[in-house]
This record gives sequence, structure tokens and C-alpha cells, in this order.
Amino acid sequence: MSETLYHLEKVTQVYGHRTVLDVESLHIEARSITGVIGPNGSGKSTLMRILAFLEKPASGRVSFQDQPFTKVTLEQRRQVTMLNQEPYLLKRSVKGNISYGLKIRGISDTSRPVDRALSKVGLAPDKFLQRSWRELSGGEAQRVALAARLVLKPKVLLLDEPTASVDRESSELILRAALDARDQWGTTLIIISHQLTWLRQIADRILSMDYGRLSPVH
Amino acid sequence: MDYLLSGLIQAFELLFKGDPETYSAVKTTVLASSLSVAASMVIGSPLGFCLGYARFPGRRSVRVVVDTLLSLPTVVIGLLCYAFMSHRGPLGHLGLLFTIPGMAVGQTILGLPIVVAMTATAVENLDDRLKQTILTLGADPRQLLLTSLWEARFALALAGAAAYGRIVSEVGISMMVGGNIKWHTRTITTAIALETGKGQFAMGIALGLILLALALMVNVAMSGLKRLSE
Repeated sequence: MSETLYHLEKVTQVYGHRTVLDVESLHIEARSITGVIGPNGSGKSTLMRILAFLEKPASGRVSFQDQPFTKVTLEQRRQVTMLNQEPYLLKRSVKGNISYGLKIRGISDTSRPVDRALSKVGLAPDKFLQRSWRELSGGEAQRVALAARLVLKPKVLLLDEPTASVDRESSELILRAALDARDQWGTTLIIISHQLTWLRQIADRILSMDYGRLSPVH
Repeated sequence: MDYLLSGLIQAFELLFKGDPETYSAVKTTVLASSLSVAASMVIGSPLGFCLGYARFPGRRSVRVVVDTLLSLPTVVIGLLCYAFMSHRGPLGHLGLLFTIPGMAVGQTILGLPIVVAMTATAVENLDDRLKQTILTLGADPRQLLLTSLWEARFALALAGAAAYGRIVSEVGISMMVGGNIKWHTRTITTAIALETGKGQFAMGIALGLILLALALMVNVAMSGLKRLSE
């Protein structure tokens, strides 16, 4: 029997007087791939921020591993990570960026996992490890940002249009690395993308979001 | 004009011959200002972070107060410190009056608003995605604070340099709290004031040159840090 990671019931989010999210019900199973499509401003990113515990919903019930939103522990929150369309890299080297998540978890021996994560996104460790965040192209920065998430072997990886502003090669490498994470560690993927054809190939289900409401895409 | 020229020549003689009185003032200045900048940074950085990062009722009013304190006259700080540290004052038992630590306390009050205001501005100007990135990588609140401060490190160093520039050139606090005691609490600025009053331009000019050199170093450091923080 598959484990349900997220339960959302009657979840709304309001910015000012505008309701930007109105989800009646959403369940996300462990190890599944969920695709979310929808026009800009439809509430997709708001949903992702709630799933990443960055925003508290205005109303409704959100639970993760049967734990209510407000009771989610740091350990549980650390099982979830997110990659945005335009990543932010810390002002340090590539190695410093990728090892950051491990170090704040108290892991000091980071060399091998960092090398592996960097290779996973198609960047040669000997060439990129010592590079500064300033010396990376947009596609390389996005791949380093993904490596910084993959090194954590997350239980949930939220991808908010991760390939929207990168070249084709980077795009393919990013998506392949994300799928590898699912295959290797059973990472649950929730992906916002405009590439419906591609989502149809990989996702277990696709949801469409419009005016904050979710509906299945058949 | 001759006395100015001869004063300048004598000033260089004092500097190159290592005149002990001149270098005693330099040593006191560097010691007191370093202590006060360190204290300003340790106290001011977390306060500035909270002011720039947190949203709480009255935040704008606090910001206005901090910005107002930026122009606090040094003689007013000197007066307050004197009142508190004198034998009749509430801190009289600490014996801080006419000591370098006492001067450092006053100078910390001078540097603190600079560090708080500049840190708050630096934190406000941090990329919005930074917090989201740090949190989604699994940071707890303490790690969020430390990483954010580290990300703003060049701007923080800039705040420290600006505070140092203000502190090293102040005269009111050093004069009133330090007492301008020769070999003990006489700083570059108080020595310049005294020597000029005595008509001894040579030492005044020598110390003025050192002060200018310090100001130049601070400015060079600040422009370098500005470039790095951009």
C-alpha cells in the first residue's frame, strides 16, 4: 500500500483581498510524480510554497506524513526541498553551495556526496567544484542548485518550472537527474511545467490549475 | 606661511623618528576604536538583522529612532557617558571614567546606530529568494540568521568600516570620557586639539597625517567592499 505524504483539504490562500488558491482536496502519494500545469498567476507557485512549508495557508487543512502543517518538525521539513525557475546560489563556491544543506544537518564529510551530486547534473567535479557562484552560466547555476537539492536525497522534490529559463542541454540534464532521484531514492516529484507532452510521458497524474482551483487533466 | 611649512617638516621628523608621545596617541586611538568597532559589530549586527528582517509593530518608528541616532553629536554622548561613569553616576563604581574601556563604551554608542542602520539596509536589500533557498535546504531559524548575515558579509564589513571612520575621527567622547590624559587616554584627535591650542603645530600636523592615512585606508577598504557586495 502506498503511503500518502500530503493531505490538503479545503485549502485557501489569500493575498490582500484576493484569493489566489482554493484547493478542495489534494492527496499526494509517496514516490509519485505529479505534474501541475496552468497559466501564469493561477496559483501554482503558491501551492508549491505551501507544500514546501514556506507559507501557511489562510484556511483549510494541510498535513504532511499525517502531521498538521503547524506541527511539522524540522526533521520532516528537511525531507522536502524545492527548486525554482530562477535559483539563488549562495555567495560561495559551487562546493560550498552543494555542501550547505549537508553541513547544516551536521554532516562534515561532504566530499563524495558533493562530487556525486555534481556529476548527476552533468557537471565535472574537477572543473566546477572550486568555481565561484559568479562564474556560472544560467544553465550551470540551475544545475548546481539542483545538485544542492539532490545531495540531500530528499523525500519530496518540488520543481517550479525548473527548465523555463535554461538551454536545452541543461533542461534535459535537470529533468533526467530529477527522474533518477525518483528511481534511486523513491523521491516524490511535484513538477510545475508548461511542457504538457513531456509531463504526460513521465507523470503519474497531471493537474491543471486555473484561478487557484485544481482539476485533473485526462 | 613659514610656520606651517616648518610644522610639516617637523611633523615628518616626529613620524620617522618614532616620537613616543605621537605614537602613544596613535596606539590609544587604534586600541579604543578597535574595541568600540568590535563591540558595535557584535551588538549591532544581530539588532540590524532583526530590524531589516522581522516585521513587527512599531518597526518604522524604531527605524526612525535609529536613523536619528546616526547624527547624535559626540559631545552629547560624551556628556551622557560622563554623567553615568562619574563617581556620582550609576556606573561610577565600575571606574570607567578616564580609561580606554570607558572611551570605548562611548564610541560604541556612536558606532552602534551606524552598524544597526547599515545592517538593516543590507538585510532589506538581500535577494528575496535567499530566505526561501536557505529554508528549503533545511535551515533552522539560527542557521537562517547566520547564513543571511554571511550572505550580507561584505555589506556588514562596509558597516564596520563606516563606523570605524566615524569613531576614529571623533573628539567629543575621547575628550570628555577619556580626559585627554598624556600617555594614557590621549588620542590622535584630542592631541591635535590640545597641540593646536598650544601653538605646537608639528605634532598636530603629524597626527593629522596619520588620521588622514587611517581615513584613506578605511575609504579604500570601503570602496573595495562596495564592489564585492554588488
